[in-house]
Amino acid sequence: MEDEIFAQRTDLSGLSRAVEQIKATLSTIIVGQHDSIDLLIAGILADGHVLIEGVPGVAKTLTAKLIAKSIDAKYSRIQFTPDLMPSDILGTSVFNPKTTEFEFKHGPIFGNIILIDEINRAPAKTQSALFEVMEERQLTMDGTAYKMDEPFIVLATQNPVEHEGTYRLPEAQLDRFLFKIEVKYPTLDEEIAVITQQHNQKTADQLGHVKPVLSAHEIVTLRQVVKNLHVEDKLVVYVAQIVHESRSNKSLYLGGSPRASLAIVNAAKAIAAIKGRDFVTPDDIAYVAAPVLRHRIMLTPDKEMEGVTPDDVIAQIIHKIEVPR
Amino acid sequence: MQRLSLAFLVLFMVMFCGTGFAAAKKKPLKVITDTSKISARHFDQKALDKYKADKDFDYSGQSIGKPSLWQRFWDWVWYQIGRLFNSIPFSGTALKYFFAVLAVAFLAFVIFKSLGIDPITFWRGEAAKVAVPYSESLEDIHGIDFDAEIERAVAQHNFRLAVRLLYLKCLKQLSDKDLIQWQPDKTNTAYISELTAPEQKRVFGLLTRQFEFVWYGNFAINKQAYTNIDMLFTDFKKQLP
Repeated sequence: MEDEIFAQRTDLSGLSRAVEQIKATLSTIIVGQHDSIDLLIAGILADGHVLIEGVPGVAKTLTAKLIAKSIDAKYSRIQFTPDLMPSDILGTSVFNPKTTEFEFKHGPIFGNIILIDEINRAPAKTQSALFEVMEERQLTMDGTAYKMDEPFIVLATQNPVEHEGTYRLPEAQLDRFLFKIEVKYPTLDEEIAVITQQHNQKTADQLGHVKPVLSAHEIVTLRQVVKNLHVEDKLVVYVAQIVHESRSNKSLYLGGSPRASLAIVNAAKAIAAIKGRDFVTPDDIAYVAAPVLRHRIMLTPDKEMEGVTPDDVIAQIIHKIEVPR
Repeated sequence: MQRLSLAFLVLFMVMFCGTGFAAAKKKPLKVITDTSKISARHFDQKALDKYKADKDFDYSGQSIGKPSLWQRFWDWVWYQIGRLFNSIPFSGTALKYFFAVLAVAFLAFVIFKSLGIDPITFWRGEAAKVAVPYSESLEDIHGIDFDAEIERAVAQHNFRLAVRLLYLKCLKQLSDKDLIQWQPDKTNTAYISELTAPEQKRVFGLLTRQFEFVWYGNFAINKQAYTNIDMLFTDFKKQLP
């Protein structure tokens, strides 16, 4: 009925088709995790990096690999370990005896889709090497700045910080991730479906049949479409109120940064696009608020002791603020 | 045994002789006479009289008056409590333990409270609810004269505002019939999910989409489009019980 009254202003058919194709491809291997997949796609469309957290064995890495494989772009995988050095990621200058000059050997970070597996197994020194490249999409080495090719997406997985052999990521790095997606255990029905699917599979290579559905160039184009979606002024105020409240909330030691406000707006635009709208609604904002904020805020020690989670506080903050209507 | 006694005797003699020898080596004591002048000081009689007249410094016990009514009341209360517990066998020990436990519990309560932890939720091991004061709605849908406001918006050709008012009016109607629980913090999707009747849910979902296109999507709307939307809202109202 709305189509009869309101003509479509922005052509989102290409985007909707690509999203459906990615979802269809992933659903052949991944059972459930619909929100995680939506957020991963939204992260790619909003030009953001995504951190996926979950206990071992919930298909974090598999989901990230599938997303990476469904995009026709240069893909790198880095397994983070406690002895990993910054030069192992970024690259290093090597002396060439033929030319008697130092040549920069590119590290695995030079790519379009970078899968960093178990990112919190490397110490802070190695984590810090990612600061510049994640935020500015460039790398400065020996006085030379190297621009990353577009799109540049970091998909990182991590175990919960309480687990053995893990390090807490620096706040500055966490702030550079658009989303932190928490992958939970599947439901009973989903678990049965996982077992059945695995049992019926004839080949060992799960990803063999996955074909790319989007090119790097298409992603850049879609990002531009998403960037131009409409956001009402009152919704901008709504986002600012949410983030501002996080800074004065008594349960929080550290609130959201202005980067968090921008991230919520960008992520809400991407979610709106995935849902086929060329404008953002308060529902989009409420949907992305927790994945955008949960890794950026810090609870006060007493709230942590009480067992309050960042998601609890975010929900309370959202409930406190009136939806613009 | 004899050898041991002899050894102790020799040791005692050595120590005694040693001490005497050391004392013999000391210089003779010299008596020093204090020649400084001593002037006798006397109590100030006036101050003494003043202190003597002050009841606070009277420790003879004779001036203590009768206990006040308030004091007598508390004496009676404590006497009754004591009598009550004395009538219970082993009450002395039981009372001691009871007050000890009470004191420990009180101390623990004070420590938990000072750390900002709710002792009850901590004991149960559940995540405590974060207390956030609820902000009052800036616009209470129950306090708006919708018909008058819609009429005014239509007269001004402000059809966007008119659609918004239609939607808020619809929310009020649903709230009045207890089909939704109106809360300013709830999103439109939350209201859709609160409706239980499938047809109501479907039509209200459609109306919500119309409102969102107009209000959040900033779509231009003319009188004809407004009339169509108004009809949809009117039809929906007829569906309500």
